[in-house]
Amino acid sequence: MNSKTRPAEKIYMAVIFLFMYAPIVTLIVLSFNKSKSRAKWGGFTFQWYLNLVRDSEVLNAMANTLIIALIATVVSTLIGTAASVALTGMKRRTRSLIMGVTNIPMINADIVTGISLMLLFKVLHFDAGFVTVLIAHITFDIPYVMLSVLPRMKTISPSVYEAALDLGARPFFAFRKTILPDLAPSILSGALMAFTMSIDDFIITYFTKGSGFDTLSTKIYSEVKRGIRPEIYALSAIIFVAVLILLLLSDRMKAQTGKLASRARSAGNQKIKKIGAVIAVAAASIAIILMALTFGGVFSKKSTQVFVYNAGEYIDPDVIELFREETGIEVVYDEFESNEIMYAKVAADGAAYDVLCPSDYMIAKLIDNDMLMKLDWSELPNAQEYIGRQYYNSASAFDPANEYAVPYCWGTVGILYNKELVSAPVTSWDVLWDPQYKGEILMQDSIRDAFMVALARRGFSINSVNPDEISLATQDLIEQAPLVQAYVIDQVRDKMIGGEAAMGVIYSGEAIYTQRENENLDYVIPDEGSNVWIDAWVIPREARNAENALKWIDFLCRPEIALMNFEYITYSTPNTAAQEMIEDELIRNSKIAFPDEETLSRCDTYISLGEEGDRLYNEAWKKVKSAN
Amino acid sequence: MWKMFKDRRKAGALASPYFAWALIFILVPLMMILWYGFTDDAGVFTMANILSIAQPEHAKSLLLALELSVISTVICFLLAYPLGMILAKNRMSSQGIITTIFILPMWMNFLLRTFSWMTLLENHGVINGVLEFLHLPQIRVINTPGAIVIGMVYNFLPFMIMPIYNSLAKIDENVINAARDLGANPVQTFLRVTLPLTVPGIISGVTMVFIPALTTFAISTMLGGSKILLIGNVIEQEFTLTYDWHLGSGLSIVLMIFIVVNMVVSLISEKKDEQ
Repeated sequence: MNSKTRPAEKIYMAVIFLFMYAPIVTLIVLSFNKSKSRAKWGGFTFQWYLNLVRDSEVLNAMANTLIIALIATVVSTLIGTAASVALTGMKRRTRSLIMGVTNIPMINADIVTGISLMLLFKVLHFDAGFVTVLIAHITFDIPYVMLSVLPRMKTISPSVYEAALDLGARPFFAFRKTILPDLAPSILSGALMAFTMSIDDFIITYFTKGSGFDTLSTKIYSEVKRGIRPEIYALSAIIFVAVLILLLLSDRMKAQTGKLASRARSAGNQKIKKIGAVIAVAAASIAIILMALTFGGVFSKKSTQVFVYNAGEYIDPDVIELFREETGIEVVYDEFESNEIMYAKVAADGAAYDVLCPSDYMIAKLIDNDMLMKLDWSELPNAQEYIGRQYYNSASAFDPANEYAVPYCWGTVGILYNKELVSAPVTSWDVLWDPQYKGEILMQDSIRDAFMVALARRGFSINSVNPDEISLATQDLIEQAPLVQAYVIDQVRDKMIGGEAAMGVIYSGEAIYTQRENENLDYVIPDEGSNVWIDAWVIPREARNAENALKWIDFLCRPEIALMNFEYITYSTPNTAAQEMIEDELIRNSKIAFPDEETLSRCDTYISLGEEGDRLYNEAWKKVKSAN
Repeated sequence: MWKMFKDRRKAGALASPYFAWALIFILVPLMMILWYGFTDDAGVFTMANILSIAQPEHAKSLLLALELSVISTVICFLLAYPLGMILAKNRMSSQGIITTIFILPMWMNFLLRTFSWMTLLENHGVINGVLEFLHLPQIRVINTPGAIVIGMVYNFLPFMIMPIYNSLAKIDENVINAARDLGANPVQTFLRVTLPLTVPGIISGVTMVFIPALTTFAISTMLGGSKILLIGNVIEQEFTLTYDWHLGSGLSIVLMIFIVVNMVVSLISEKKDEQ
């Protein structure tokens, strides 16, 4: 056959190559982007690489990923290889039955495998975390090892092995000397495959991980919804380059040993080297694991910890660091994408977190279901002194006697629009139904906020549980769906900054940040009224470290800490002392951050809908989402 | 197949860690899904969870997922087969290069790579920037099913390339030459010799692309703007949002039906192959 590559073939390969690597190049470029928003090129910087060194969250997730992948690879390689060897000694029917079972995790959808393991761990009352993720990874790694080793095992000639036995060698010794060397390359490639799958897995980890435990994948997924931290791009770029170099080196080494071998025909020697390599890899992995255990303390659950569950991108990371330094309490910090997801987690395991930051209506639901602890106010002097009385008054809508919650942030929901793309003044929610903006509208991917818009537009209560009203709102949202570009949460931010859409429903806190990045943006609260919300800190009834949780809450109520936080997240603070300390006059008097009484009088807080109401909204939301 | 063990019990002992593992962590969890799927809150047997697939929202998301995953699988096949032939023809069989090229991207996290497509495909994204610079018409694909298909093809293409390449590389060149000597033209050779010989590779490639594409929820969330609900998204939401494990398990069982069908097809073809 013609062995020259034709130009057309070269072009074809180049196109595929471009397709495979375009996103990777993009990520590497983004890792040098000065702007935090991926929608904007803000100049060249090495900052994210430097930050990486002290970004313990990302580094922890990375360490978890590697440790899990290493242990899972070693264990699954041992179990899988032993099974493959043993299978050759079994009846044909047994063998195909076993191979059928082996294939299940390969062929089964990841989501089914993940969920089935999650159910198992739940029923066994196994605490989800490091161990459960490790077990899950071993489970889906074994088939990769077996599928690599078994075919090779079938082709190995037994005569040398049998000869060794005849000469009096013990079976294991004979196996090690005759079969293992032939098997080594396929064991190695099975192990490599297992390792790669383990590093890249997201779905199964997502379902089997517990609170406070993240691998790189799950960490990234929680960040995807609100814009990924640039440090993660930097880390991925480093990993990518490191692996590229390693692979190139090993390829070159293989080529060289190959040449040597063919010259010297000293195949035996090479085999020994290969086994040596396997042992070296195993030894290195164990060493790394031990090191990580000593330094990382993966298994240790110290008493000086506090498990915090907050909304995404809702705190200045330096504040966490300051708290850690001052109190010596280690903060295990987790983030949720929506109140509903938070509720599902806490309902499943009430002791998973020590302190939560849900919104008003969700706090009411938590109180109704007796899931919260009454706060010991004597431990919260800052919260009593600095959080404005009016905010406690508003909070009494969901926490009648102010027993459970300390307000953290508050704000309104409104429309952020791009003045260059929207000419007429925006005063009504109706603009979100205006066909001239088809494909230019971003809606909130959150049940309550989406229905709030539709209900307020028709003049209904935003807390309506009247089925007729809900059904009208549902109809409206379905009608609106073709006009909507996307349902997003915090991504409204990046998309509006980048000019991807003309308008979007957004929280007031995000408006200040986006205006800083793109001056064409403006924020309005429509005339029909809207939602005014309060997010507040609460402690679950079953919290293990309630004392530390109180310390955490009170620390955040210190005026200078609250100010630092406000300047980072730009969500309005209820801390009156901090409000007065804001230096920028424009922001201190900003109508967006601190709207006037008249505007607020048009806005309502959410209250809990009750179980029946929740069901009604959930069903309706599913209809809206599948309308496209 | 030769027998390494004269004594079957020894073989059993060697494989026992695997048996135990497979029983506890593969079979038992599957039983759990079945149990949850066929019961309600009170633990009473019901078919309601399974039958809820007929609800319009669920049926629609399943049909859309089927449609998109079939399209993605076909595209993957059409892209991968010629590539496999080029690679095999040039005997780039130093397996190293193949693995390097197609496994390497997997080391950059799957979600990040998909996320990166968002930056590429957006209306004011990188690709449109380039097109604008070249004075070419812009693409409007983000948040449409098209973007999801791109994401699926991108993520699962390596799983199609590898088995197809492997089965192409295994073909004895003499077989091809014999066909040519016997008067077959290149098209006939391809259709009647090469293609049939690579069927096992194709089937395993199709499985490895179709199943994850059918059940994904991350790709559709990211590239579909949460506007397009696939069956994977529905199941994920049942577990993480509405917290109805019974319904979620019931829908997972429906998915497993497709997987079983796929398994049966590949088993039959394997049998044929062995004959």
